[in-house]
Amino acid sequence: MILSELQSDAIAELINIAFSRSAASLSELTGSRVDLEVPEVSVHPIAEISTELSRFVKGEVATVHQVFSGPVAGDAFLLLNFDGAVHLVDLLTDGDVPTQGLGASAREVVTEIGNIVMNACLGVFGNLLQVRFSFSVPHLSLDDLGAMVNSLVVEKNPMQHALIVGARFRLRQSEVTGCLVLVLGIASFELFLQEVEAWAERSLKGD
Amino acid sequence: MSKILVVDDSGLARRATRMILENAGHEVTDAQDGLAAIERYFLDKPELVLLDVTMRDMDGLEVLKRLRDLDPAVRVVFVTADVQSSTREMADAGGACGFIVKPVSAQPLLSAIAAILPEVGP
Repeated sequence: MILSELQSDAIAELINIAFSRSAASLSELTGSRVDLEVPEVSVHPIAEISTELSRFVKGEVATVHQVFSGPVAGDAFLLLNFDGAVHLVDLLTDGDVPTQGLGASAREVVTEIGNIVMNACLGVFGNLLQVRFSFSVPHLSLDDLGAMVNSLVVEKNPMQHALIVGARFRLRQSEVTGCLVLVLGIASFELFLQEVEAWAERSLKGD
Repeated sequence: MSKILVVDDSGLARRATRMILENAGHEVTDAQDGLAAIERYFLDKPELVLLDVTMRDMDGLEVLKRLRDLDPAVRVVFVTADVQSSTREMADAGGACGFIVKPVSAQPLLSAIAAILPEVGP
């Protein structure tokens, strides 16, 4: 899918704002400053996401999945590298929760982190694009990246597109790398782009 | 009318801010990264710099530090989506004279500028 310059600029800025809010939520949650690098944004057909995702996460990944519904509907996935997920649990629980193999308590913590980060991000999308989203209960899976991508590609219609946002951030001298993946059907993607353009036009008018 | 330098890696943010400022009668130049911002500052000698925080290669806090090393009188307002209190504290500690949260709309931006540059005005 080829985006116009306006669409591309607007999505990048929308993601910048949304990820900054997510980082602030993560900072509040962990009590640590979060230094966020500029997120990298791209759009791919669902069958071609593997290469892009592997630029940011590799090996075993913790994936929090949430379905969102509304005028723009789809699936949101937050992928964290395993070590990063462990680090976040340690920060959040002051090391009180055993993280070896990410047991049940640690998984709950990662799921809640995913929930808060994705809601902060999609909440900004909703507010700025003037679109209401409803969220399902988040689910966590721990899997190899290849297996996770395979299950996603098999489940989804090949005509669907994925908006991939790769982000690197640092908390207390440790780098955590993650990806937000939004999988949208054609109708939802077109509506999303229309709303993004409308927001860009409003921004250019100073509204 | 005042001369204002807008520094942001987002093309949309630069265009939107430029439009607001020019419609209010200000003269605007812009830069899309930290190094270009420092160069433009010394070429254009703006009265105010509107500076993003999260940028590639050199973030806005580092740009502020370098600008102040070279010109202690520089006036910088951060315009950022980074709402962490630690960022605001670092901006204050670095000598920023304002902090505006994105997305930016005309009235809050122009009010902040008018408060910082009362002597020039649009």
